Amino acid sequence: MTDENGSLFAGVNVVVKGTTSGTVTDADGKYSIQLPSGESTLVFSFVGYHIQEVSVDGRTTIDVSLLPDVTSLAEVVVTALGIKKESKKLGYSVESVGVDQLQQNRTVNMMESLEGKVAGLDISPPAAGSGASTKIRLRGQTAFSGANNAPLIVINGLPMDQGAISANGNDARDRGDALQSINPDDIETVTVLKGATAAALYGSRAGNGAIIITTKSGQKGQGIGIEYNTNYAVSTALDYTDLQQEYGSGTWNATLGTGVRPATQGEATAQGMLGWGAKLDGEPQINFDGKSRPYSANPNRFKDFYRDGTNFTNTVALSGGNERGSFRGSFSDLKSKGITPNNEYHKRIANFGFNYDMSKKLKLAFNANYSNEENDNPPQVGIQGSGEANFIYRMSTSIPLSAYQESVVNPVNGITEMPTSGFQTTLINPYFSMPRQFFRDKRDRLLATTTLRYDLTDWLYIQGRYNYDHSSVFSEFNTPTGQGTNNPYNATGVEFNGVYTTNTNDRTDINADFMLGVNKEIKDFSIDATLGGNTLRQEYRFTNQAVTDFIAFGVYSLGNGVTTTTNNAGIDWRARVNSLYAAAELGYKGFAFINLTERTDWFSTLNPNNNSQNYASISGSFVFSELLQDLPWLSYGKIRGAWAQAGSSNGAGYAEGNLTYNVLPTAFNGQKLGNIVPVNAPNPNLQPFLVTEKEIGLEMKLFNNRVSLDVAAYNKVADDQILTVAISNASGYTGTKQNLGKLQNRGFEILVEGAVVQQDAFKWISSFNFGHNETEVLALAPGITRFTQTTFGGNEFIGQLVYEVGQPINQLSAKTYQRDDEGNILLQDNGRLLATPNFVNFGSGLPTYTGGWTNTFTYKKLSLLVQFDFKGGGKILSSSALNWLRQGHSKESLVGREGGVVFDGVRASDGGANTTAVNPQTFYTDYRSLQIADPFIFKNDFAKLRNITLTYDFTSLVSKVEFIKRLTLTAACRNVALLYKDLPNLDPEAFASSGDNRVGYEGITQPTTRSYSLNLNVRF
Amino acid sequence: MKSRKYLILLCAAFFTLGGCDQNFEEINTNPYAIETLDPALLFANAQRQSHPGNWEVEQTIVQQFVNAYNLGATAGPNFNEDTDNFNVPRWNNLYPNSIKLLVQAIDLTEEQPTRVNLLSMMRIWKAYLYMTLVDTYGYVPYSEAGKGAAGDFFPAYDDDATIYDDLYNEIKSATDALNPTGDYVSADLFYKSAGTAANPAGQVAKWKKLGNSLLLRLGMRYSKINATLAEDIVSEAVSRGVMETNADNAYLVWSSAYPNQLNAGPRAINTYYYYVAEPFVEQLKATDDPRAKYMIGKYADPGAATTTSPDVTLANQFGFPVGYDSETIKAEAFNRGTQGSGLNYSQINFNVLGSATAPLFYVTNSQTKLLMAEATQRGWINSQGTAQELYEAGVKASMDEWALYPNATAIPLADQDTYLAHVDVAFNATDALELINTQYWLSSIGNGGESFANFRRSGFPTLSPNSYNNNLGGGFMRRLAYPNTEAGQNQANYEAAVSAFGPDNLTTRVFWDQ
Repeated sequence: MTDENGSLFAGVNVVVKGTTSGTVTDADGKYSIQLPSGESTLVFSFVGYHIQEVSVDGRTTIDVSLLPDVTSLAEVVVTALGIKKESKKLGYSVESVGVDQLQQNRTVNMMESLEGKVAGLDISPPAAGSGASTKIRLRGQTAFSGANNAPLIVINGLPMDQGAISANGNDARDRGDALQSINPDDIETVTVLKGATAAALYGSRAGNGAIIITTKSGQKGQGIGIEYNTNYAVSTALDYTDLQQEYGSGTWNATLGTGVRPATQGEATAQGMLGWGAKLDGEPQINFDGKSRPYSANPNRFKDFYRDGTNFTNTVALSGGNERGSFRGSFSDLKSKGITPNNEYHKRIANFGFNYDMSKKLKLAFNANYSNEENDNPPQVGIQGSGEANFIYRMSTSIPLSAYQESVVNPVNGITEMPTSGFQTTLINPYFSMPRQFFRDKRDRLLATTTLRYDLTDWLYIQGRYNYDHSSVFSEFNTPTGQGTNNPYNATGVEFNGVYTTNTNDRTDINADFMLGVNKEIKDFSIDATLGGNTLRQEYRFTNQAVTDFIAFGVYSLGNGVTTTTNNAGIDWRARVNSLYAAAELGYKGFAFINLTERTDWFSTLNPNNNSQNYASISGSFVFSELLQDLPWLSYGKIRGAWAQAGSSNGAGYAEGNLTYNVLPTAFNGQKLGNIVPVNAPNPNLQPFLVTEKEIGLEMKLFNNRVSLDVAAYNKVADDQILTVAISNASGYTGTKQNLGKLQNRGFEILVEGAVVQQDAFKWISSFNFGHNETEVLALAPGITRFTQTTFGGNEFIGQLVYEVGQPINQLSAKTYQRDDEGNILLQDNGRLLATPNFVNFGSGLPTYTGGWTNTFTYKKLSLLVQFDFKGGGKILSSSALNWLRQGHSKESLVGREGGVVFDGVRASDGGANTTAVNPQTFYTDYRSLQIADPFIFKNDFAKLRNITLTYDFTSLVSKVEFIKRLTLTAACRNVALLYKDLPNLDPEAFASSGDNRVGYEGITQPTTRSYSLNLNVRF
Repeated sequence: MKSRKYLILLCAAFFTLGGCDQNFEEINTNPYAIETLDPALLFANAQRQSHPGNWEVEQTIVQQFVNAYNLGATAGPNFNEDTDNFNVPRWNNLYPNSIKLLVQAIDLTEEQPTRVNLLSMMRIWKAYLYMTLVDTYGYVPYSEAGKGAAGDFFPAYDDDATIYDDLYNEIKSATDALNPTGDYVSADLFYKSAGTAANPAGQVAKWKKLGNSLLLRLGMRYSKINATLAEDIVSEAVSRGVMETNADNAYLVWSSAYPNQLNAGPRAINTYYYYVAEPFVEQLKATDDPRAKYMIGKYADPGAATTTSPDVTLANQFGFPVGYDSETIKAEAFNRGTQGSGLNYSQINFNVLGSATAPLFYVTNSQTKLLMAEATQRGWINSQGTAQELYEAGVKASMDEWALYPNATAIPLADQDTYLAHVDVAFNATDALELINTQYWLSSIGNGGESFANFRRSGFPTLSPNSYNNNLGGGFMRRLAYPNTEAGQNQANYEAAVSAFGPDNLTTRVFWDQ
């Protein structure tokens, strides 16, 4: 037996047609089978390959070569709890991902390369540096923002939360997530179980679906093999800005009716971030540092500031196997330099897995993954202050980047930052902060799974599994002395100001489960049942220390800081969830199946009188193509339907039921001060909440598996979630957790894949996926129809995130123009704006559709992949647009520069048309003070040519070299082109956070990038 | 054999799980958390967090201070603008901090009969903080406020006049409950040194005077709307015993670890934005005020004011005119131009008044004396001396306070007398109210909230409205607006308050300011 490459093919099923006698090819691809008398036909089959039938015709040796079936969805799918099932038996929506692409279209965070690949899976990577997290959402956003809305990640059976430590507003730096610990070279399968139905067996943690990842552990009978993969990528910053380049720094003068440039160094400083000055004419102009430079445009500042980023990854893997077992060990090193000049990310991942048949009945599998990450200076995003992008984007175009590089320090004291603008604390010169400010994040993580399975009889087995997940994080960061202030000393002038903070986190998750399984066929029926239990034990410990007032200049350490502002250690999370579950699958004649599951979870974080949740699911599938064998164009057809519930304690915190106190670390004139710890009013009566999902689907393969189609429709309702509700701060508290609210996500998914051209030499496979999701708030707390989740701060202070009954979730809300009955905008008598007293909703920040179109062209040894993806249907509230307008940088701010803004509206007092001119600086600032958001609302729609990848398989060219089994070279470009967008000046994917609290709210981030990479893969 | 094997396995499995939720309560309890704490420590923290006001808000409204630069975001009371940034500090600092702590601490102490003094002190101080909230906003949450831990998330707003009635009763009954032989409160940041654990009588005496002085202040507020009620409360407070000397002052001293929060803003950044206002400087110059050298100064570089020493010669001081900004003033002949990185005008003296360790005075003997001078002038009281005597004692008490500031010494008695003899300072019956309340304005320089309230009540000092624009209809600001978050989060109660109280703008008047 050989495969399409001529390699020996082990494990192929060889069956005499019409009988049950068969065998399997061995490690050398050889088989031996006893034939009955008479004519026989042998059937050769292997998952993912075309079945071949060969009539014996009297031969004693038959050599067969099998060809891969490129259009088949995996016939066998890894489902919940690591149970492998044939996909025809599944009543719910499951999709597998091609693993080669993860290696070739490599991204630092492996989840990012899945964007646009799976229908209904919305991956949104924030523009927040190499070591960042991604936002992963399956079928929309299940629960309110603030809950954990990511699907469960399962690695080799170890369930794991995505654990994103994202720039969710005030954190400002994205510190990655659990997927950073996984090396794409180690991945064997990635399966997406889309709804609560698919993951009902994981219970509470899988209400948002699950992504099941398995890593390689070698193949039986393969012998020893070595694989080496190297990948080098270069990224460049993409600049979409089209700001005004006509007027420079300065303010608008009402007497002259035009802008004037700064006359003194003091004015140049105060007005450095304002673009309301005079027309640019190249004349010498005094700048913030007293030096004179030409008063001209500098439109290339962004490109000049950001460097080209590089990623260099090397992986070495050794694998082997005999007839009883196999193993694989790998080591990978990634060195990444981000586009922000001082951002570097380095990770090393070691992975080892083996499986071994200790006896015919006892099987052992083991997998361990160890990762070590060091993230230096992830860029600050979404916040005012020392974010580099925040500064570069908001200063006037008439000051060149070189000025900021030259004049960093204030000559008055030689220490503090030279003031560059009137917003001294919120616009920090990056050339001051980059050499002085640091943020270091080091983490070690070990994921280990051991599975032991014993076949008690041939229809009964018992399996036990132990998963251990331990991570250790150390981070330290500072605010340097003299940043954002003219004074290097603290308030009393004795010690140096600045802050130093250090945190450690030590987390352990242990997940142990046992399973008893039955697998039997009785006449036309098959039964596959499991009974099991699970215990999850989590304990997270932390230490936090921060000091200020430094004795020695420039030394940021705990010992050097005189005043301790934080000194705290303890347990920030401890929980246990115990579960019992049962599942049964009944099949009839191999074409009709029904699946039932039932589970109960007990949660330690909930009200002891009501801490358990019980849920069930039922799903069915009917492979109708088995009854329609005579339809030549229908190779496979299945309809499926499911109803499932998953419960959750998601949102309930650790030990939050009581009010607790602390004592401030520093005494006031010798007197200790006491404080109430929670800023949220405690609620000890939280109950679990339930997600209920219904779905139906149709899968078909047509024309001899040449075209495949998978369509699904679903409706998901989350009820009584645990949510932090913003309350009046006059209560003393800013929020409280409650069970409230009912949210609905419903939509459909389509996946169409087909071999457009299928010749021997040339093949063209096209795959299109599309997901549509609509959300609605069905109910909030009794008597409440609207509530505010977040008030946006960060880069700019406008708007709120609001939920209102009957509308899609995550509404962006702010005030709007006052209008008369005819729709004219009302203005004050002085020509300035008027805002409505109430907040209005501008639309949801969530996309309603996502999708992608991938084309793979193969010509002999060359293959070309072209992928497009697109997203849209939601809104963006752009705080950068507001800043650019009120500071005079956007093209919209050009209206009114000569003579003032005469806004097109009517006076509120008498209805007459407005003819009064207003200082543009004052007029446009009113948008912020009045919180009117109309000019800053855009659609979040975009379409991108995401990937072009060219791969050449050199294997046949080096076949003379005996020990090289395979050699491929890939060249790829990612983020090739932005084909359509509505948001001006920015990439709609340049958002700051992978969390939900800022969805739709654009707060300045580093630019998105285009990367070019080369990948070489050799197997010995 | 086989069936026994897996029966054993099954049992083992269930036994390892044990009871499905055993030990859960222990697991969900944080062993490091403090669940009970001495409420006195909460009281101390609440005193420390008492909101000091903002130079750019209250002192700007009463024209002592101004940020001369209009950069959009910096436009607030200096340019008659209703900007949320400047409206919210008192609300957002008091409710989630001092009020939250005091409500909880009072709740804990009510169950401890041996701590009646602690309880009374907290009641008095909470009443003071609510007085400042009503004076600033009008209707505010009061009876339902601070009770988030008990489930009250959306407190209703109480009628401002009703709150004042309740404050009167609260202060009076709490002051009466103070017991000189009761508990000593060692955590009290104001008067702990006046008593000892063995003998708290001295501490109690101070608190009684503080309480009664607050009653005096509260009574005085009614002077415009109900003179009879004002007279009753004022005379009652005086007869109960108010502050007598500067040793009775309620004030806090700041340090490196906890610097003065009033001054933190102007000291940290953009110091060249901040100047003193013309009416204030003119007052000091016209009367040759000996306090002026500690209050204001002229810096060679206004941007470096926190690290250099100013020229304090009174003749060299010039205040920035009200109604202009750094750009519009350029069109005027009287513009004094630029200086260093800022403007050629005087600023607060950052070594003394504007120091990081400058004390903050909440209720003073000086203010008490001046209010009594007015009460005597109006004929409401006559037991404390003549109006002139009280007036002069009030001015001298203010002078003596400066000894507590860093880089300052007591103002010599001779200078104090010279000042009081000045033609524009000397007491005379015709101008009595103007003189008294102008001194009140000067005496309360660090407590803008009190200057703002007293200015509205008395109509003095004589100031001209800020003519920068017509946003206030030619008048002064009469209150600050509610935070935007209240309109969003506490919508029903906010709207009910607005419909009962009046539009949520800067010109609606608090009940005692009609």
